Amino acid sequence: MTEDFSRRSLLRAAAALAGGGLLVGCAPGASRSTTDLSYWHLLTGGDGTVMAGLVDAVNAANLGFHTSQTVLAWGPPYYTKLAMASAGGRAPDVAIMHASRIAGYAPGGLLEPWDLDLLAEAGLHESDFPARVWEKCQYDGKLYAIALDTHPFVLYYNTDHAEKAGVTDALHSLKSPEEFTEVATKLQAVTGKHGLSYGYLGDGSQMWRLFYTLYRQTGADMKLVPGQRAEVDKDAAVQVLTFIRSLLNDKIASRSGDGGTATSEFLHGESGLFFGGVWELPVLKDAKMPVDALPIPTMFGTQAAYADSHTFVLPRQSKVSPERRKHVYTMVAELLKRSVKWAGGGHIPAYQPVATSAEYQALKPQSNYAGIPAYVNYDPQVWFSGAGSDFQNYFAENVQNVYLGNGDPGAGFDGFVARLNKLLDRPQPV
Amino acid sequence: MRKRDETLAGWAFATPFAVLFVLFLVVPAVYGLYLSFTGETLTGAGSGLIGFANYGEALTDPDMWKSLGNTLWFTVLSTIPLVVLSLALALLVNLGLPGRWLWRLSFFMPYLLASTVVVMFWSWMYNPTLGLINGVLAKFGAAPVAWLQDPKVAMLSVVITTLWWTIGFNFLLYLAALQNIPEQQFEAAAIDGAGKWRQLFSIVIPQLTPTTMLILTLQILASLKVFDQIYMLTNGGPAGKTRSIVQYIYESGFTGYRFGYSSAISYLFFALIVVVSLAQYKLINRRSAA
Repeated sequence: MTEDFSRRSLLRAAAALAGGGLLVGCAPGASRSTTDLSYWHLLTGGDGTVMAGLVDAVNAANLGFHTSQTVLAWGPPYYTKLAMASAGGRAPDVAIMHASRIAGYAPGGLLEPWDLDLLAEAGLHESDFPARVWEKCQYDGKLYAIALDTHPFVLYYNTDHAEKAGVTDALHSLKSPEEFTEVATKLQAVTGKHGLSYGYLGDGSQMWRLFYTLYRQTGADMKLVPGQRAEVDKDAAVQVLTFIRSLLNDKIASRSGDGGTATSEFLHGESGLFFGGVWELPVLKDAKMPVDALPIPTMFGTQAAYADSHTFVLPRQSKVSPERRKHVYTMVAELLKRSVKWAGGGHIPAYQPVATSAEYQALKPQSNYAGIPAYVNYDPQVWFSGAGSDFQNYFAENVQNVYLGNGDPGAGFDGFVARLNKLLDRPQPV
Repeated sequence: MRKRDETLAGWAFATPFAVLFVLFLVVPAVYGLYLSFTGETLTGAGSGLIGFANYGEALTDPDMWKSLGNTLWFTVLSTIPLVVLSLALALLVNLGLPGRWLWRLSFFMPYLLASTVVVMFWSWMYNPTLGLINGVLAKFGAAPVAWLQDPKVAMLSVVITTLWWTIGFNFLLYLAALQNIPEQQFEAAAIDGAGKWRQLFSIVIPQLTPTTMLILTLQILASLKVFDQIYMLTNGGPAGKTRSIVQYIYESGFTGYRFGYSSAISYLFFALIVVVSLAQYKLINRRSAA
């Protein structure tokens, strides 16, 4: 009797489980209230803490909605999931996306454009953003993203070491690769180890950030249009790669510098210069080291900086709730108004009322590089480029050997371009 | 009546699994086969049947061949030591060393770790400047090696990690098989004057043949499907030297958005695995018949 009973209940439980699983699996976008906003982003570490604080602050303002954030791992995991969710129409109400990835998401209908009238109602206008940043947020004449920040690749230096080496002024005024090498060599003499720390090994993004900064400084362009061959300037690329290789000679900088090594070396005063993203600033400040930051000096004639922007996007949903959508506009506006907190993490606020505020201008060294948005350079605009994309891996695959000092710069760059041409040749999937 | 009851109950118990199996394995597999003949992408752009175009492209795609070559090379490099070393370890432990439980535990324990954990600490050990391995090498005056970044050694590093991580399973299978060999055989052999080496080659290894075949089959299939540790350790680099075919399928589909093309490569790879399995099956059958 008992046996029978337990068997039956087991079967029933199993059936319920199977059935329930199916129901959950197929339920369309679970019935959510119009005041609950879902927000996906890829900000972890210090950035994640600041973002969580900002979201909490906006929630606490009781504006008639509540935002729940979902944090996913940076890079391909995040972008793949976001693309899948949008393709399936069950995306969050709002998400963070790097400005450099918009070209991969907007054309396929994975994003929806922002409505300029609704933005104005929320108090946001084109004039509130730097021109180049606003332009990058557009695709095909429509606005697909609202920038939160610009986060460039910059040059940090150890102020004590620079003073001792007598290069502080030179650092602010140097104009050629030779002068940079000279400064780095003098710093090397002071630290006794390396002049410069640069973590690039096994990290395509890092290799690309420095290369593209300097490549754009030569005035060279990189135009990628599907169906056409890549338009690049090989001479400029070879010049830049040769220079980078000359720095990674185990004297000026370690040939085997990966992210962790470079940061720890600079933190411990074993080098005087450090190429890094502005997002590294909190770690350096926490270490209470004597540090300052500058835009990467213009060494090849043209002022240029590689950067990307965190932006807010509206992933495609198969059923849009106009009420929730409206709340999203308010939420984004409220986050932007509080973005001076975001600037604490090193980023340059995109929202001009904040960027020009006395509170932001007082932040050091952040305000040293506050002018970068005026001459910022994003990745070439094509569907496969951008932060954490395969594009940067292809770059690494072909030039890591050059950085390591074993490969020929010209051949490495040719390999990269061949790979780009293969991708441009294929039918565009989005 | 009673018989019918049991049949019904059997079906009832099998149903939940069968439903899930069909839903999450059979349906996607069939759908994948269909996709491989289409130009389907993430956003549905360029969908529609295109015949064997994807297969044609895959067979002439140098990156596909390169990643397939990497996978086969990994399989060769990993399978041989994973069989030979696990046997050696099992034999050693079976000798009756003191603290046998400790050996068993330490060989098997890594197998219980998640691949992420394994990759975490091996990437620290392989770190070119701060890593343990180069630190030890430096004590002997050796130059630092870029374990994961040098195209010449990256695959070897991946193999070493894999070996450390997964050898415990094969080791345990061998140990169990060793303990099943009747003690009397050794006694009889000893009385007949056979030494330890003679016993090893005339008793132990022949008796272990079924186990060896099993391990070999499982190992080759597992090595062919390698993905996670490589993806996390090197992301297929340097210079694509460690990109496995599974990673190439993943990249074509999930970051390149070409589901049709990626399905076609999956099916080509599937065909290869079927061929390998059939060949092994034949080989084993011939052996056991002989």
